[in-house]
Amino acid sequence: MKFKLQNIAIAAGVALAAMSAPALAGSIKIGFNVPLTGFAAADGNSALVGAQLAVEQVNGAGGINGDMLELVVYDDQASPKESAPLAVKLITQDEVVAGISGSYSGATRAAATIYQEDATPYIAAYAVHPDITRAGDYVFRTSFMGEVQGRAGAKLIGGMMGLKRVAMITLNNDFGKSLATGFKAQAANFGIEIVSEYEYSIKDREFGPIVSSVRADAPDAIYASGYFFTAGPLVRQLRAAGIEVPVIGQEGYDTQKFIEIAGPAAEGVIITTSLDRDSTDPVTQSFIEGFEAKAGYPADMVGASAHTAVLVMAEALRAAGGGGKAALRDAIAATSIDASTGHISFNGLGEVRKDVQVQIVKDGNWRHYAVISDPALLAPPEE
Amino acid sequence: MLFLDLTVQGLVQGAIYALIALGLTLVYGLLRILHVAHAALFTLGGYLGVIITNQTGSFALALVVAMAAVGVIGIGVYRFAYKPLLAHPPLVALIASIGLFIASEEVFRLVFGPYGLSFTDPPLQTQVEILPGIFLSHARLMVIAIAVVFLGLLGWLSASTRTGIAWRATVADPDMARSFGIDVERVRYLNFFIGSALAAAAGVMVALLNNLVEPTMGAVPAYKALAIIVLGGLGSVRGTLVASLALGVIEAFGTIYIGHLLDRDAIAFAFLIIILMVRPQGLLARG
Repeated sequence: MKFKLQNIAIAAGVALAAMSAPALAGSIKIGFNVPLTGFAAADGNSALVGAQLAVEQVNGAGGINGDMLELVVYDDQASPKESAPLAVKLITQDEVVAGISGSYSGATRAAATIYQEDATPYIAAYAVHPDITRAGDYVFRTSFMGEVQGRAGAKLIGGMMGLKRVAMITLNNDFGKSLATGFKAQAANFGIEIVSEYEYSIKDREFGPIVSSVRADAPDAIYASGYFFTAGPLVRQLRAAGIEVPVIGQEGYDTQKFIEIAGPAAEGVIITTSLDRDSTDPVTQSFIEGFEAKAGYPADMVGASAHTAVLVMAEALRAAGGGGKAALRDAIAATSIDASTGHISFNGLGEVRKDVQVQIVKDGNWRHYAVISDPALLAPPEE
Repeated sequence: MLFLDLTVQGLVQGAIYALIALGLTLVYGLLRILHVAHAALFTLGGYLGVIITNQTGSFALALVVAMAAVGVIGIGVYRFAYKPLLAHPPLVALIASIGLFIASEEVFRLVFGPYGLSFTDPPLQTQVEILPGIFLSHARLMVIAIAVVFLGLLGWLSASTRTGIAWRATVADPDMARSFGIDVERVRYLNFFIGSALAAAAGVMVALLNNLVEPTMGAVPAYKALAIIVLGGLGSVRGTLVASLALGVIEAFGTIYIGHLLDRDAIAFAFLIIILMVRPQGLLARG
């Protein structure tokens, strides 16, 4: 009897000690809203893998001064109706110290106002709408505003490729329209004449009328905005109609899936984006290899952007050294690191300053084409 | 030339709408149910078409199997979702249909993945110059061919065969038809089989034209097909046909000339509203 009781007491004691050991290492919670279901589920999955990879890499290297990063992930279906209450939940119930958005502009905008009101830092990984950072000084963005990328597109087509007559095919949402605005603002400076502009909705996959009209316009180049599930069919239909002129897109195309859908039509398509597959930078290379191993498909811009956002957050947490949310915000604002999408620093509004990578599809893969390094042209607005 | 080109594009799109909306009109004519879940069968047809072509290399086989399989599943939808609800007001079946459709989008995502599927080697891609300056791929020509052939077959079936006459009798007056010895249940099975098979054919062709099937590809056809059958006159097959083609052409011109004001769906519905204001019963309403 006594022997057995003693055994139980010892066993209980050991078990308690074992259970409490991990609790000695603190965990730093970061909120992460991402579309895991709905129309944007594909990008959401990439964003999640990119973010998780970054967390693993950070924790594997010892975490933040011994504390481990923990991502608190919620599915927002790329909808503001979901992301807003989720932001409230993350801040009040899960008590995250900061948040990252792995979602599209609509959802990110809604969540940003909530994070700003609660003085909790928020980094938008790849959402492009200009008003996101205007929510306040606690909101940052690690990817290009649509307008900035549009300006880069104008320099690429008019200045670097020397093509003058351009037909625009614009996706009529936040993403496409902000790209078009930036492109049109700079077009004249690079000698571009916009011969026509056609708009389409995010639900369209059939572009017969637009393709016919573009063929009748006979431009030197086509500047088309969209995501892989619209750009893939569009490029395929353009080439099938015998339109051979260069097609220039943006980071919405930046997935292997685009190449799969467009097939041989994808060859030679050029995009402005943030991820350089041929980069020799060790952080980028380790991201590309790690992402493909973890996801089972090649790296894309969305995964790279989420990865970058987590790295920025981790570095800022290290610098702030447990000083609370205001100190974290200041540390983020002072960021200057090399991440998978280039050298990252922020301006006064919280907008990123970095070079634009230009990639081209060669032999069924995205490859380096050029870099646009023009701080004056690419300067995001200060307010 | 652009004018003619756009008209041809519009007719191709209209043919696809016709294949989808016809099944909807057939079900409405027979049972007065708005079969929203029809769009789920369209999507399933597309997925089966891509998967079977990728596995076997034969597009023809994929088309036949997709149509047959989805036809049978369509009968299943009637048997297990609508038949138990026939005693209740049609609104109940409509809600069940909507629920089925919403669930189907997520089932497709869970089973086939969120990224969508593409053909590894899409067939029928070569271009043919059908008129000077107007090129259509074999795939688009096939859409027109399929629409003409199947709708022609349907017309012949309903006018000249015993089955077709039994079908029309059941639509007109089920009780009278029953008293003449017609098996109303078999007619309903046939109705769902044909409508669903046509939707599957539309799904396969759309998959081929875009080289992409996605879990949510049925979302737009779900409500647009409803708009088309209203536009054509509820229950009128000819009306559905005319409305489908008209809508395809209106969208083709609208997206080019007023695309900066309204998007494709807005144009479609604006057209619907204008027609209904002038002719509330639809273009070719019955009786």
